[in-house]
Amino acid sequence: MKLKCIALAVSLLAAGASFAATDADVDNSFQPYKKGFPTVAGLSAGTTINKSNVEQFKDAFDPGLYEMVKDGWVDINVAASTDFPQPKAYIEATRKNLGKVKLGANNGDLEGYAAGRPFPEEPDLKDPRAGEKLAWNFKYGANYGDSGAIYPFYWRYRNAATGQIERTIKFEFHFLNLMHRVEQAPIPEITPNPSKIYRGTYAKVYEPAELKNTQLLIQRFDDDQKLDDAYLYLGFQRRVRRLATGQTTDAFLGSDMMIEDFEGYNGRVSDMKWAYKGVKNILVPFFNHNEQMHLTDEYKESDGYKFVDFHGRGNCMPNVTYQLRKAYVLEATPVNPNHPMSKKVMYLDSQTMYPGRVVIYDRKGALWKNFTIGKSHPDHHLPGNKGSNVSLDDSFSQVDMQAMHCTTGQFKTHIDAKLNPPGLFQVQNMRGGD
Amino acid sequence: MYKQVTKREWRLKALAIALAAIGSGAAHADNLPALGDGDDPWRVDVIYENGTHYRGKDKTGHEVGLSKFRNTIQVELDKKLANDWGFHGVLRGTFDGVYRLNDDEFGKKAGSKSGADLQFQNTISKSGGMVTTVPWGGGLGANGGPWNQATAAFGYPGGNDLLNAIYAGNVIAGSPLPLPLPGAANTGFVNGNTYSAESGVGLRMLGDRWHGPDGGIQMAVPVRPCDTDRRGCRDFGGYGDKNLSELEAPEFNDRLDFIREAYVKKTFNLTDETNLFLKLGKQQVVWGRTDLFRVLDVINPVDYSRNNIYDELQDIRIPMWIAQTEFRFGSSELMQDRNLSIVWNFDKFRANNLGQCGTPNVMLDAGCFFRGMANLWDNGGTVANFAHLSDGAASLAELGMGIPNGSLPRDMWLATNFGPGQIGIRKVHLPEWSLANSQLGVKFEGVTQGGLNFSLNALTYRSQLPSLHAFNNAQNPFVASQTGGSSHLIAFDMYFPRVNLIGGSMDFQSETLGAAFRLEGALTKGEEFVNTARPKLYSSNKVWRSVIGVDRPTFIPFISESRTTLISAQLFYQHIFDHEEYRGPLGKYGMPDWQDNFIGTLLIKAFLMNDRVSPQLVTAYDFKAHAWVASPQVEWSLSDSLKLTFGANVKGKRDDAEDRWAFNDCRDCNPYAPYTQYDGQTGAGPLGLSGLEPLGRFRAGPIGSAWKENEIYFYLRYKF
Repeated sequence: MKLKCIALAVSLLAAGASFAATDADVDNSFQPYKKGFPTVAGLSAGTTINKSNVEQFKDAFDPGLYEMVKDGWVDINVAASTDFPQPKAYIEATRKNLGKVKLGANNGDLEGYAAGRPFPEEPDLKDPRAGEKLAWNFKYGANYGDSGAIYPFYWRYRNAATGQIERTIKFEFHFLNLMHRVEQAPIPEITPNPSKIYRGTYAKVYEPAELKNTQLLIQRFDDDQKLDDAYLYLGFQRRVRRLATGQTTDAFLGSDMMIEDFEGYNGRVSDMKWAYKGVKNILVPFFNHNEQMHLTDEYKESDGYKFVDFHGRGNCMPNVTYQLRKAYVLEATPVNPNHPMSKKVMYLDSQTMYPGRVVIYDRKGALWKNFTIGKSHPDHHLPGNKGSNVSLDDSFSQVDMQAMHCTTGQFKTHIDAKLNPPGLFQVQNMRGGD
Repeated sequence: MYKQVTKREWRLKALAIALAAIGSGAAHADNLPALGDGDDPWRVDVIYENGTHYRGKDKTGHEVGLSKFRNTIQVELDKKLANDWGFHGVLRGTFDGVYRLNDDEFGKKAGSKSGADLQFQNTISKSGGMVTTVPWGGGLGANGGPWNQATAAFGYPGGNDLLNAIYAGNVIAGSPLPLPLPGAANTGFVNGNTYSAESGVGLRMLGDRWHGPDGGIQMAVPVRPCDTDRRGCRDFGGYGDKNLSELEAPEFNDRLDFIREAYVKKTFNLTDETNLFLKLGKQQVVWGRTDLFRVLDVINPVDYSRNNIYDELQDIRIPMWIAQTEFRFGSSELMQDRNLSIVWNFDKFRANNLGQCGTPNVMLDAGCFFRGMANLWDNGGTVANFAHLSDGAASLAELGMGIPNGSLPRDMWLATNFGPGQIGIRKVHLPEWSLANSQLGVKFEGVTQGGLNFSLNALTYRSQLPSLHAFNNAQNPFVASQTGGSSHLIAFDMYFPRVNLIGGSMDFQSETLGAAFRLEGALTKGEEFVNTARPKLYSSNKVWRSVIGVDRPTFIPFISESRTTLISAQLFYQHIFDHEEYRGPLGKYGMPDWQDNFIGTLLIKAFLMNDRVSPQLVTAYDFKAHAWVASPQVEWSLSDSLKLTFGANVKGKRDDAEDRWAFNDCRDCNPYAPYTQYDGQTGAGPLGLSGLEPLGRFRAGPIGSAWKENEIYFYLRYKF
């Protein structure tokens, strides 16, 4: 009982600590490299790391990617670290709401949040709820800004052992924040919104024919205790099916991705127990898209856009440059004991609050999947994205290390509010389609 | 000068258009010229599919063999047009080679080779177990020959002699008295003895695929394509009168069915919150949330001739020319989403295609019943176990024949020859293409603040299933000069009544159970059902149908630890209001459809090898019919372009099923007293005499009536 009281007191103290965040914390949070980028001895732009020299740079790797390089899955080409500034309005909203946000009594409760980064202060290992705060920073992050779209979005299922491409799916993805909006009108919320949906994610399949016109809609509520609503429109049935909760931890359309894996973690804060494990400077695939040397024009685009190419074993890894960046190590353990994984470790980029790397462990605790998200600076991407300050998802790779199988994703991301009208995120939109 | 466009020319024209479209699609799939001012090119997908089915033995013990060798080309077209309009089209052409490859079963050579192949049962004494058969044309009313000796084997006078003795006063030599029954001027049923030798060719016994002779009625039905044998061919609402080539390539017809879909669509912004979505053209409109069952999903008729009830509805809905407008109001302070949809089906009426008799898939075997009955009306025919010797008639016959009273059994039903215009289906009244006959639906679909999805639906439409109305002015088979004045006569016209439907649906999820639930219900008014208790042998009844479904993705470790297996169960319930079922001295009569029935379905579908291999098992059980089906299947996607599917469809029934299916057949309805009068019967109306034909099919349902259609199948699907 005594221990419990102490824990509660520490917890409240930690929660209260958020009130102490300052403008300086905001500056540090969004400009972590003001004083320079991290370094690792011997590592510089132009370095190629492979199994022969990975031990030398082991500290610059998360365990998952380290294992891959050590085993010869992939060589890592290092480029200079760069700044990925976040949307100004998002930063301003953070500043404006500074000190107004605090954690509630239970995991998944948040009080006083309006917009911006909820907890800009540097996480503290002594804070038992620091992990939760980072999870909230991630949930209310500026990925895709207030809205964004990916089209086309190619997923490939690959046999990692043979390199065989088993399936190519051509998607369209859209994201829309209905609440806590900072940049795109209306601000701060698209109303009326009686269910208080925070975010909508809509996806549609164009190819292959077997899956054509399959559509997915996920509605995430601002109340984190409330289960997402998810709907699937099956082209061959022409009917919207309500998805049961279990399907968010299912292999999505047979890929190596669960719906819950989208964007690194696509679930409720309350679905996981969060633990902050400290800071680590690691190599992540953050880059300038247009400056990459290994883009592919395999998919023809009328504007000449080329997609990130893949290489390495089974062509499972993005053929892009990596840079050394400061990451917060955030461990997520499922609350549901029947969850297919035992935990995932997210390496949250300190500036963008999005993970360039996620390592997933199976129920027995063994390394299961290596998830890599490539991020491009928006000023070195499509002309329309320039100046958005949204760090753009540009590639992903989910490698099932046990099944020797991977799913890769090649993005053409657009930050354009016109592409994401609210009606797209209503169930009826799927019913009225083809 | 106008040129008469023949049906054949229509078909050729349709075929040419389709082939041209398919050809251009294949050649220019990536870069078709733009239509209108849209900048986007056409999106064209061309898909080939071969479906091959092999069917085992039917109830006759005969191995059916190939039951489908269907080759399909489907072209799917999408185009963004000017001013934000969009176009979507689906063209489909099929050719089913089964009619040539298995022509003994389904083609020009199907059915009997002579009348002797068809044996019609005479129950000489039901209690004594005395049964004989006569060939086609050999029932009561036949003239001489070996055909009419139904009773002779048991030492009774021959069939025709018996008939004459009873009805015509044509007593055998030495008989003391002529028979007193009035009116019958001829020696047999009027025109019932005029079948030609050729008329016994190309026939099968109705229902012989799923049941044997059971002491009930039997009749023969023509089974060859209508260009080979026109008998019984009628347009029952889009099927029933098809020639071989039309059965082989059913989309190329005068309704241009090869255009599966062709519609334009656009969203108009009415206000900041409200959009108007318009979809105009040939299309499928899908209401409801249920798989397999059609509770609210009744706007488009369905083509069951493709694969009975076992194809995806998307592939078997018959697209109609429809205008669909949808007001999308978006959110309100109380609801997360609000939509009002108006659907106007202005197309010419189409019925559900139940399958033409003689083709592999005849749902409920109804197409055979209809064709057989139409043939009976047009040409007459022999009906097994029909004419009954009442105690009075038997006594008279004994007296007339000079044999002791009590010599003849009193539970005797004899095969009987009918002439044209006496019983059967006379005419099909298809709704005219008029504004008054168009179909209108309204649906409100919303999402509540708490996440409950629901719809409220209302629809006025024409029943897609036929209703048979008995009429009373057919030829009295006993009296050449008499027509009319009867009731309960098994002579019908076919109608498609107007039906009004109100209903609704909803879905929600349960986090605790990890499952999503679907509910759907509808109340209809105007549906018509067979009812032998009514003078016109049908009644109009309100019907409630509902389905509760649950989908639960479940991790089953021995199947996969990373991919759930979908377990989906549904329970369908149907209740007929004011249901009529009475118990007469000989059994039940009234409505053969069950007053309350449940059908349960269970789908277990697993996904392996990154969803490239998907085994599944679909089972269904009809609780009242005591019939079941199990359909194991494996889909294997070899690549994005090539998919193979292997499967089987196995059905069965419980031992007591046929007893449950048998129902009053109205042999005992006494339309022409005193000739058709049973002992103690006063006036017209049934006593409850039952058999499997013709109404057992409504109790057996689509599963039970196909319980001997077990198949294995293989599909190859390739996208170019």
